[in-house]
Amino acid sequence: MSQTFPISVTVNGKVYNREVEPRLLLSDFLRHDLGLIGTHVGCEHGICGACTILFDGEPVRSCLIFAVQANGHEIRTVESLGTPDHLHPLQQSFKDKHALQCGFCTPGFLMTLVPFLEEHPNPSEDEIREAIDGNICRCTGYEKIVEAVEDAAAKLSQAK
Amino acid sequence: MTAKYLSQPIKRLEDKYLLTGNARYVDDIEVPGVLHAAFLRSDYAHAKINKIDVSEARKRPGVVAVFTAEDFGDFWKPGPLQVPPPTAIAGSKFNARTIVPIAKDKIRYSGEALAVVIAESRYIAEDAFDDIIVDVEPLPAVIDLEKAWEDTSVRVHDDLPSNMAALVSQEVGNYEEAKKNADVVVSKRMLVEHVAGAAMENRGFVAKWDEQDQQMTIWANTQSPLTVRGSVARNLGLAESQVRVITPYIGGGFGPKVMTSLSDDVLIPWIARKLNRPIKWMEDRRENFLATTSERDQVHHCEIALKKDGTILGFKDVFYHNTGAYDSYGMTVPLNTQTHTISNYRVPNFYTEIRMVFTNTMVVTPVRGAGRSEGVFVMERMIDFAAKKLGMDPTELRLKNLLTAEEMPHKTGIIGQDFVANVLDSGDYLDNYQKCLKAVDYEKFRKEIQPKARKEGKRLGIGVVAFTEGTAVGPYEGCKVTISTNGKVTMATGYSTQGQGHQTVFAQIIADQLNVKVEDVKVITGDTGSFAWGAGTFASRGATLVGTASYLAAQKVRAKIFATASKAFGVPEDEIELGEGFVFVKGKPENKITLGDLAIKANPMRGVVEPGVEPGLEATAYYGPPHGATGSGALAVIVSVDPETYKVKIERFVMVDDCGTIINPLILDGQIDGGVSMGIGNTLYEKMVYDENGQMLTASFMDYLMPQATDMPKKIEIIHQHNKSPLNPLGIKGIGEAGAIPPGPAICQALEDAFSEIPLEILESNLNPSIIYDYVKKARNS
Amino acid sequence: MKVEGEHLFKAPREVVYEMFNDPNALGAAVPGLQKMTKIDASHYEATLGIRVGPVSANFSGTLTLTDEVPPEKVTLIVEGKGGAGFVKGVGYVNFEDLGDKTTMMRYVGEANIGGTLASVGQRMIDSVSKSIFKTAFEKLDKILEERWQQK
Repeated sequence: MSQTFPISVTVNGKVYNREVEPRLLLSDFLRHDLGLIGTHVGCEHGICGACTILFDGEPVRSCLIFAVQANGHEIRTVESLGTPDHLHPLQQSFKDKHALQCGFCTPGFLMTLVPFLEEHPNPSEDEIREAIDGNICRCTGYEKIVEAVEDAAAKLSQAK
Repeated sequence: MTAKYLSQPIKRLEDKYLLTGNARYVDDIEVPGVLHAAFLRSDYAHAKINKIDVSEARKRPGVVAVFTAEDFGDFWKPGPLQVPPPTAIAGSKFNARTIVPIAKDKIRYSGEALAVVIAESRYIAEDAFDDIIVDVEPLPAVIDLEKAWEDTSVRVHDDLPSNMAALVSQEVGNYEEAKKNADVVVSKRMLVEHVAGAAMENRGFVAKWDEQDQQMTIWANTQSPLTVRGSVARNLGLAESQVRVITPYIGGGFGPKVMTSLSDDVLIPWIARKLNRPIKWMEDRRENFLATTSERDQVHHCEIALKKDGTILGFKDVFYHNTGAYDSYGMTVPLNTQTHTISNYRVPNFYTEIRMVFTNTMVVTPVRGAGRSEGVFVMERMIDFAAKKLGMDPTELRLKNLLTAEEMPHKTGIIGQDFVANVLDSGDYLDNYQKCLKAVDYEKFRKEIQPKARKEGKRLGIGVVAFTEGTAVGPYEGCKVTISTNGKVTMATGYSTQGQGHQTVFAQIIADQLNVKVEDVKVITGDTGSFAWGAGTFASRGATLVGTASYLAAQKVRAKIFATASKAFGVPEDEIELGEGFVFVKGKPENKITLGDLAIKANPMRGVVEPGVEPGLEATAYYGPPHGATGSGALAVIVSVDPETYKVKIERFVMVDDCGTIINPLILDGQIDGGVSMGIGNTLYEKMVYDENGQMLTASFMDYLMPQATDMPKKIEIIHQHNKSPLNPLGIKGIGEAGAIPPGPAICQALEDAFSEIPLEILESNLNPSIIYDYVKKARNS
Repeated sequence: MKVEGEHLFKAPREVVYEMFNDPNALGAAVPGLQKMTKIDASHYEATLGIRVGPVSANFSGTLTLTDEVPPEKVTLIVEGKGGAGFVKGVGYVNFEDLGDKTTMMRYVGEANIGGTLASVGQRMIDSVSKSIFKTAFEKLDKILEERWQQK
């Protein structure tokens, strides 16, 4: 399949016009074509959640979508949240509570949690655990991730 | 000098890069001109190869080359033995059959590489698989361990008379004699089943050959960069200095990434040099299940002999251990099983026999726990069965036999994975257990909570087990600490990192010795270009070995600071003081020299130096212990079982852990939490299954279930004990694998307790609701 | 994997048996069967495309008939290979004349599945194979109706 199609995708606020093969996965497009390496590929069959990005604001597995499906849509990846010197409050909470170890699953968790916290500014522990059930972490046992979300929720609601 | 950073919950220095997408993992390494590799893997578990025809694949547009075993010529050979055989154990028999980089003449496990395609993209490389014609004659598969040992008609290695990979037995005292005095003897057959490391990041490898400089640069997410460097150099006839192995950020290790000389380690560098193009390979999840190593898969025949007052007289364990199709990693895993079976208790007579067997499955190498989990599982289960026979509470039987602080150091009499006699260096195992019982309120559970639940028709049970974790084994690790002319400190070590917080914990130790800010210490791990000596990340040895080496190197640098300052100020050393980042003469702090300027003074560009003085404020130190340090602890779990679905919920989880001196309590708890999630996962959700034809049935997360956030207990309660190890100056013991070891037997004990009115006996380690239901049904019918 | 079942055909045994020996009939009935060619009386070659969960695969292989006692019974040996793995199976099929111009076909067999199909699709193979049989029988019933009516 060497035929390519032109697509126009907005990623983190910037418009990218590219020619891609129809079978190119969105995860590969973001990581290798655009050099946005924050989104990670853990399983390529939609279960681990490491590749989660926001597609028109909704968390979605980028390993299960083709780049051509993103034509005309808005994508947000972890790079849109913060920088090493200016962390997003959720990222700061992750650091403060030691909610990451190897960091491979972390961007997927962050992109799942950002819209979740917008819709649930005061989540219970059960609600948090259910919200992150679609993200697998092998290092942390999830406990400190839950603490980080509680911490961020408190911070974000105070800021309002 | 009081430690400012040791034992403090310092937030990790590496996090801001990991959180923001600014950390490069191996698949993020971009090299101009790179080509992509893909391995065609065998569907058959055992087959004779007639021909692998790649001629059509070579013609496909975008394919640059395709290689089979024949194309590698003399380069193709079985790999090295990564762990030497146990010659230290008298009478041991070991047949070395090491892993081959690609199948030649015979296929020995499903997933074994048959051909490697090099193409312009991974997509095209995988397209080419359809062009390859594989002509094989399937053979029956050797899968069942006990049958593999007995049946010599089908052999994984035809040049051997059977499927025996090793036979190693060890004895303390005389079990058969001791048994004669026993009042109670219990015998059981138990299984500890197969699990995957399943790190979120799969394996990957990038090799770049520079023809002009004759240099090979490799980026790999290996736990052993120095082993990879050594074997690549040897394989290609290069000097080690011509090979640089860099570990980028690694998305979890857990053991499987310590195995080297797999297809990629051996073939990708050769191909990169042959084609004079950089080559990248990234494993996918299915390949990770099929063709990356995994662990556990033992069948144990155990026997325990006791007096009627509960004193353990002896223990016997004859067990079959699956090494898979090859045994490159030696006996590390089953030797750990042998040492950890009796390591919590007073067991004066112990006979243990490893029957290691070849099968047509992927090779077995350590996964968090690394054989220890199996030893602890069988001992804890046998104690539970003995308690039932004796009519004793299982906790009572343990309290009678657990080792105490007064008995330390304790020689168990068993030789371990480091080939020296196992010595338990420190700890109070009885105290661990008693504290655990108190913390979980055992009495209250038995007298109030459980009876109340029973009246309400709820199935609630408790299990309390003990465990040890042998850690910090040799041979050695080392590091180099340097103060730069900008006043900041760099440490470089050959050890590699997969998320354990090394950039922070070693910086803490060094910052304390040099009186600098912890964030001014940069730790470089796993880059052979920066530090080229060491063994690798395994056996929970980083904190102890690299931590101690950091301490020793920093102390040497501290001595150089004082010596250089003494010369610079022209006063004796005892009049020098070290402030935060500068030196001064006592009483005259306004007249100071920064560490950066001192570093310049320590490296004169003209003049003469005194003989024996080394330049700069830099020092290297190595540390190798006489034997490992042993962590220990206890675990209590309270479980509830849904009466209709048999789903198990963990209501309470209380762990006591003793790892000696704590370097960073945040990171310590994180390590325990992670190990715990693996232990719970292994017990209630995970199981790697091969069918009788050697087909893996669980090669994706759809079938290999990983524990999720709602599967974990609400809180992992941890109580820390602080019995320092006498073996190293900071008193550290390892902790990396502790969490994964006890959940299995604790949950089994708790389940049997939840159904205590029936003779429920769980004889395997990996459960799910159907399996539990079958056990309950069997117990009800008996 | 064990395969077994039965199906009642509304036609006499000879007609049913003849239909089973016609590669065109089977070719039309079995979903995914792309090509079926008769090599000789007891050997067929076929290509089959199926989807099992996330795995879609093309298999090419052979079907061998042995121990044939027409119109009563036959043993089928299936061997197929493709990019997504392999299938090897044996099926014992028998046709019972129920006396009222209907035929009960019974089959029992063993199939060994290997490769990607087994490692990521095994939990679906059972239901997919049942679904293939169901669709095939529905189509065969229609084909049989036309043939029987012609007679």
